[in-house]
Amino acid sequence: MEPSILFHIGSFPVYQPVFWTWVIMAFLAIGSFILTRNLQKTPKGVQHFLEVGIEWVETLIAHDVGPARKIFVPLILMTALYVGVANMIGVIPGAYSPTEDLTTTLTLSLMIYVLGHIAGIAKKGFGKWLKGFIEPTFLMLPLNLAGEVSEFVSHSFRLYGNIFGGGILLGILYMMAPYVLPVPLMAWFGIIMGIIQTAVFTLLASIYIQNKLT
Amino acid sequence: MLEIAIMVAAIAIGSGIALVSGGLVGIGEGFVAGKAVEAMARQPEMEGSIRTTMLVGQAVSESGAIYSLAVVLLLIFTVLQPLVARFLELL
Repeated sequence: MEPSILFHIGSFPVYQPVFWTWVIMAFLAIGSFILTRNLQKTPKGVQHFLEVGIEWVETLIAHDVGPARKIFVPLILMTALYVGVANMIGVIPGAYSPTEDLTTTLTLSLMIYVLGHIAGIAKKGFGKWLKGFIEPTFLMLPLNLAGEVSEFVSHSFRLYGNIFGGGILLGILYMMAPYVLPVPLMAWFGIIMGIIQTAVFTLLASIYIQNKLT
Repeated sequence: MLEIAIMVAAIAIGSGIALVSGGLVGIGEGFVAGKAVEAMARQPEMEGSIRTTMLVGQAVSESGAIYSLAVVLLLIFTVLQPLVARFLELL
């Protein structure tokens, strides 16, 4: 299950997911730079689509996280873009989805989990945040702690399991019928499931953050 | 020798049984999708909100199948493979 090492930089091994994460980072950075190079007050051309897309995400997050919390829009948008591209890059032959590795998804879900708790402390104050663990009674403490752990574990395992399971199924199909037949299934697992899992991951992230703020 | 063979067989059977949860989750998610279609037919103007809620609900209830998948992967890749290698060595 351990991903293979592509090459070494000095004595530092570069694993497959790390390398493809760098590729996605470069793609997103260069794409954002080109698309937002000359923005105008009155939108024209591709800027229309960008504004419609960002407004759509903003209303979606305002629905889940609340209208006053626009501060989370860049985080959620960037997570969605990264996970979406990472899911769909597996369609390219020879490429490796970073989300096929548990390390990537666990990192993402832990990031959102810790950020949510920090935002909760900042909003409610430390005492009230600590008191949230013994609601409604003190006897619920172990159950609440188990819920906290299972939250980010299930959040990361959901994405990893879906992408990795799809990859295994495709691998078996390649062994049995290497021509023509895998193409529609590749489109299904790569594009459709990739988009659905991205939406689910992003929505759950915003819902988890909202739960920590109230 | 025989002990290892029994362990390998038990792990294989156990992995198969664990994947029953996938079928059960499939039934549950089918119910959710059916109910969502009913709700959309009744209130077409709420379509977007219903679809989002349906997807989130399905994703959360999918956790069971994902956990069993993780258990099966763990069994196969970290327990079964060394056992089979050991078995082949003994042969």
